[in-house]
Amino acid sequence: MDELIKRLRDKLMGADRDGALGATRELLDRGEDPTRILQEGMAAAMLELGARWNRGEVFLPEVVAAAELFKKCSELVEPALLASGQKQEGHRVVMATVKGDLHDLGKNMVGAMMKTAGFEVHDLGKDIPTAAIVEAVRERQPAIVGLSALLTTTVPEQRGVIVALEEAGLRGKVKVMVGGAPVTQEWASEIGADGFAPSAPEAVRVALELLTGVPSGVE
Amino acid sequence: MSDSRIRPLPLVRTLDLVPEETIERIHEASIQVLARTGMQIRSETLVKALEAEGGDADLEALRVRFPRDMVEEAIERAPSSYTMYARDPAADVVLDGLNCYLTCDGCASEVVDLRTGRMRPSTKQDLMDTTRVADAIPEISIAWQPCAARDVPTHVQPLHELHAQLLSTSKNIQQMTVIEPHHAGAAVEMAAVVAGGEEELRRRPILSAFQCTLSPLTLDGGPLESAVIYGKAGIPCGIVVMPLTGATAPMTVAGTLVLQNAELLGAITCLEFLAPGTPTFYGVCTSTMDLNSGSLSLGWGPEEQLFSFASAQLARRYRIPSQIGTFGTGAKTQDWQAGAQHALSGFTSYLAGGDMLCASGTIYGGRVFSFENMLLDSELLGIAVRVLQGFPDGDDELAIDVIEEVGPGGHFLAADHTLRHMRGLWQPRFFGRDSWEDWEAAGRPEPKHRARERAVKILEEHTPTPLSDAVEEELRRIIDHHTLEGAIDG
Repeated sequence: MDELIKRLRDKLMGADRDGALGATRELLDRGEDPTRILQEGMAAAMLELGARWNRGEVFLPEVVAAAELFKKCSELVEPALLASGQKQEGHRVVMATVKGDLHDLGKNMVGAMMKTAGFEVHDLGKDIPTAAIVEAVRERQPAIVGLSALLTTTVPEQRGVIVALEEAGLRGKVKVMVGGAPVTQEWASEIGADGFAPSAPEAVRVALELLTGVPSGVE
Repeated sequence: MSDSRIRPLPLVRTLDLVPEETIERIHEASIQVLARTGMQIRSETLVKALEAEGGDADLEALRVRFPRDMVEEAIERAPSSYTMYARDPAADVVLDGLNCYLTCDGCASEVVDLRTGRMRPSTKQDLMDTTRVADAIPEISIAWQPCAARDVPTHVQPLHELHAQLLSTSKNIQQMTVIEPHHAGAAVEMAAVVAGGEEELRRRPILSAFQCTLSPLTLDGGPLESAVIYGKAGIPCGIVVMPLTGATAPMTVAGTLVLQNAELLGAITCLEFLAPGTPTFYGVCTSTMDLNSGSLSLGWGPEEQLFSFASAQLARRYRIPSQIGTFGTGAKTQDWQAGAQHALSGFTSYLAGGDMLCASGTIYGGRVFSFENMLLDSELLGIAVRVLQGFPDGDDELAIDVIEEVGPGGHFLAADHTLRHMRGLWQPRFFGRDSWEDWEAAGRPEPKHRARERAVKILEEHTPTPLSDAVEEELRRIIDHHTLEGAIDG
């Protein structure tokens, strides 16, 4: 494999900010195809890191740190992508922490990791009223809407959003994923959600599976 | 294998739970018991020898009463620190009060078969396997014989047991089944072969041993003679007492401690006058009686923890290293009872400041050895070590810069500070930490299943430092010689 692409991968997986940004710049400077930098360098690194996390070989802070660094590298690659006319929008995801809940760490982690997997993420924020979530789905037409809740008192809002999506005639057009500490597969099934994941890397896997219908590369 | 052969438990701080006045009262009372009641030493020769050293002997009753001066002199003679040498020098253990070390136990008569999960009588192969796991894991520093070799001729069983352990570990081997002088002589001979001669064995004794009293206040001739043989060969020989409250000791905690302490000081006095300067230790496996059955209580509880605290304090008072009976449980498997009792006793003995903690891996009152428990116990002690170490409070640890960097409402997950420090966080190896869903999907695994997998893996992969062919041949020759001799004698 190309030495420089390999270095980018290693530095990104090691969450080495200067190393990863440096390698990205060097690749762009020598005129490397930005799609190749993105796919063979950055995305491959995140996929590998996700697999390692799944095997218990790396810790979550390492994955999140790499995901944040991925964002920084993306910002460098973006202009070149746009200039070459190759920029493709990924699957669009709208996500929010439901009304009454200020806990957004889990949602932010899922958002960061989804971006690394190529999703176009629209994060509405925390304490978002049901109506605002429905409105965002109508306007932005995402493939997936992700609903996060940490409190047992706010978890029922997830059901409320699904009901409201049905009432607005939007339910058939979007997959609903739910998450949060008290959320279980049972709850997800009970309220008719399409997907559930107990962790951020797992959420990426489930999202890819929901959209492609096949298990993703992340084991 | 881990990079370090042994993992000491630093004695950063110890807890003197028992008031100093109480320790003094126990000491004074035991001195009185030794002068007034004394001990039965079941060997005329030894009683005579002790009389010559200043003991007040009654030859007919084989009773020796020990004057205070003699006991105090013996305490002075016992070294306050020494090294438990190992065949592999990297596994040497220094008993100097700065670290605590974990040993196995306890010559269990049964093992839990790793394949079937059933209890069955232990064999020489089991002793080799259990010792090999102890050799592999750094948490075990001293290889006290974990189980008995019950499938060999009994008249040479202790020699087969030493043979099995010499083949399976290069850590210090602690013998407990040698209680006859001719066995002690043969064991020294075997150890010398491995060490490279008698002088080399004296310089770096790769064995340690201990002898037990018979509570109350009795010391058999064979064990004491064996202790003297070890001592004269330069091999550390501890004394371990196992009184049972209400049965072989008074019903009260204080009374049991007085009897325990008297037996230990009495036996140490015998040893230090018959083989002066022998490195010895203050070993206790003091327990309570089950009030229903009269046997050892399997409901290991608060009294045993008090015995541990008091024993470690008494040993410190005498400046003699201690070996504290730990991991007492009546459990028959790796259940809540085993976990709770092993955790409490492990933490107690360590906090008490024992130099050596024994019985790792035992269940059912020390009768049964379980590979799983030995590994699970090492996990428990890992937690205790981390707690006693405390935590650093430097500027970097106080973290105000990263608190400023993250600010209100942010998160520390991806901060460099987090990445730099996260490896310092204690990590479980056997405790379950998967999500409920993953746990269900994996078939509801328990810590014991992970521990079993680990044990199986160690047995598949770990090869102890081998002995040379010539040494092995010589060991077999010694055992054969004694096997034949015993058969002729018998």
